Amino acid sequence: MKWHIIIALAALAISVAMLLIQLIKLISAGKPKDLSKGSGNISAGVAYSYTKAMSPMEKESAYLHLPTYAAGMIYHAGIFASLLLFLFFISSLFEIPKGIGVIAGAILVISGLCGLAILLKRFINAGLRSLSGADDYISNFLTTLAIFATAAFLLSEQAEVPYYLIVSALLLWIPVGKTRHLLYFFFARYHLGYFFGKRGTWPPKSLK
Amino acid sequence: MENNIKEKGLDVLAGKIDNKLLTNLNSCVRCGLCAESCMFFKALNEPKYIPARKVALVSSVYRRYFTLSGKIAPALVNAKELDDHTAEEMVDLLFGACTMCGRCVKHCSIGVDIPYVVRKGREMLAAMDMVPATLQATVDFALTTGNNMGIPEEEFTGTISWMEEELIDEMGDEKARIPLNEMHKEIFYTLNPREPKFFPLSISAMAKIFYAANENWTLSSKFYDITNYGFFNGNKAQAGQIAGNLYDEIHRLRGKKMVLGECGHGSRANRWEGPNYLGKEYDFEMITAVELISGYIKQGRIKLDKSLNKELVTIHDPCNLVRNGGLLEEIRHIVSSSCASFTEMDPHGNENFCCGGGGGFLAMSEYNDRRIKIGEIKAEQIKKTGAKIVVTPCHNCVDQLSQLNHTYKLGVKIKTIAELVADALVIRKNN
Repeated sequence: MKWHIIIALAALAISVAMLLIQLIKLISAGKPKDLSKGSGNISAGVAYSYTKAMSPMEKESAYLHLPTYAAGMIYHAGIFASLLLFLFFISSLFEIPKGIGVIAGAILVISGLCGLAILLKRFINAGLRSLSGADDYISNFLTTLAIFATAAFLLSEQAEVPYYLIVSALLLWIPVGKTRHLLYFFFARYHLGYFFGKRGTWPPKSLK
Repeated sequence: MENNIKEKGLDVLAGKIDNKLLTNLNSCVRCGLCAESCMFFKALNEPKYIPARKVALVSSVYRRYFTLSGKIAPALVNAKELDDHTAEEMVDLLFGACTMCGRCVKHCSIGVDIPYVVRKGREMLAAMDMVPATLQATVDFALTTGNNMGIPEEEFTGTISWMEEELIDEMGDEKARIPLNEMHKEIFYTLNPREPKFFPLSISAMAKIFYAANENWTLSSKFYDITNYGFFNGNKAQAGQIAGNLYDEIHRLRGKKMVLGECGHGSRANRWEGPNYLGKEYDFEMITAVELISGYIKQGRIKLDKSLNKELVTIHDPCNLVRNGGLLEEIRHIVSSSCASFTEMDPHGNENFCCGGGGGFLAMSEYNDRRIKIGEIKAEQIKKTGAKIVVTPCHNCVDQLSQLNHTYKLGVKIKTIAELVADALVIRKNN
């Protein structure tokens, strides 16, 4: 086995282990005890939280910032695709046909450019800059770089070594940096749905 | 900062940390897209008011002391020391720049419960004895006198007696009552102390509704205060003590149902937080005045004549009753049944902006200028409706809206739900 693949496998194992530890800590912490009597439907609230509440029409963070929202969506799609491709590559499950590789690589370049645009926005926008620390730049930079590296590897086998090293760095960073929201995001949506569902705010009632 | 003070603050995060808090401390990605959803940022336009910044204040301290990466490489993972500077910033932003209205939560790209984190930050500051003195004084009044305005019992009973005489005159019925301390009543009604102190007519409005509905109710002369500023100062023990006053009083009077008067945070603090403060499920029914009145209308227990309220009405949705309480429809049902025409603000309902009086702001005079400034958003909303009456089922909102009415020359009347309904009541002869 090539040395860079061994490094990538080790990084994957460490990343998964660290995320698992965080998951176990989360679950064992337990939900806050809520003794109040509800007036809504918690299950419907939680279901709404994961579905329609995520719609761009429901959130100012989306509809007031459409270019950023669109870039963010493409960026996240690229990240997930890159991680999925990494699993394919490392497990040697199947060979990606050359034609498909070129198309996927080109799409990932677009996704990487979106990540770059978001990173640039963080540098340029004073408000965003004031919110940011090293973690914000590192997370954004590493993820964007990993997307570009995936695209490069799809387009040329010469990119193999840097590709595996960059993805390894990202994997190690995921549970440490704000990138860990890939785990916490789902819990956040659950708690939000529980809160608004129990109180009868979600799903929203239509006004006649 | 002295070590023992710092430890007290950190103990709040070190204790039994549940997965809701753990989640919210780890979820924010500081995208900054919550900025426009916050009235502080919109009105004051400074980056420090972005809601994510408020979350970061608490979460960065958590990371610094309770995560391995924060202990080893704090600069890399945005972890911060809890020092004097951080604590002062926490006071300014968590007490002085957040009404915990929760508008940002719904619009957060992740779904971080920002007010939940802010409350945890306030708990830290309370443990460090850094609650603004003005807010703490309001809590202390409630703890020592039973109501947050320190109204003596004799003064309260005097006001009620006077309002009862007025009610008898108005109804032309010697049997019209504002009962005090009566046992075994169907309803134990609660008030915001602003009512006996500044707005006694809202008590008589509610009494008129009870009279029209032929309700079996009572007030307590000692523990009637629905408010709970312990919900705001971050001191759960004090919040529990205040919530316990009403809990004990309804049991002493053997009341069946507690009806929470028109107070947004008070309703929330008693209905949603009270059982958790006291660590027990309540063994009596508890509803808000909004639900009660809506029920009276639906059941035909009161009759209303919309034409008696001719002027155009708009609704201000109290954050704690609507977005955080689910009473969107009930308020509209009452208002549409009580007036000839009403119009909505834009945005309204679950999307509504806080008036600026929430979060304990009315008690913290040091932030008065900021409070009036952020209220400009609400003032503009009201202006655009062209309404002559703004109705809201929350006395803190009434107070803030009255100040906005004066400052921004809105020329509107501010009314509670009970006042609007009382003006439309058709009193049946058989009462």
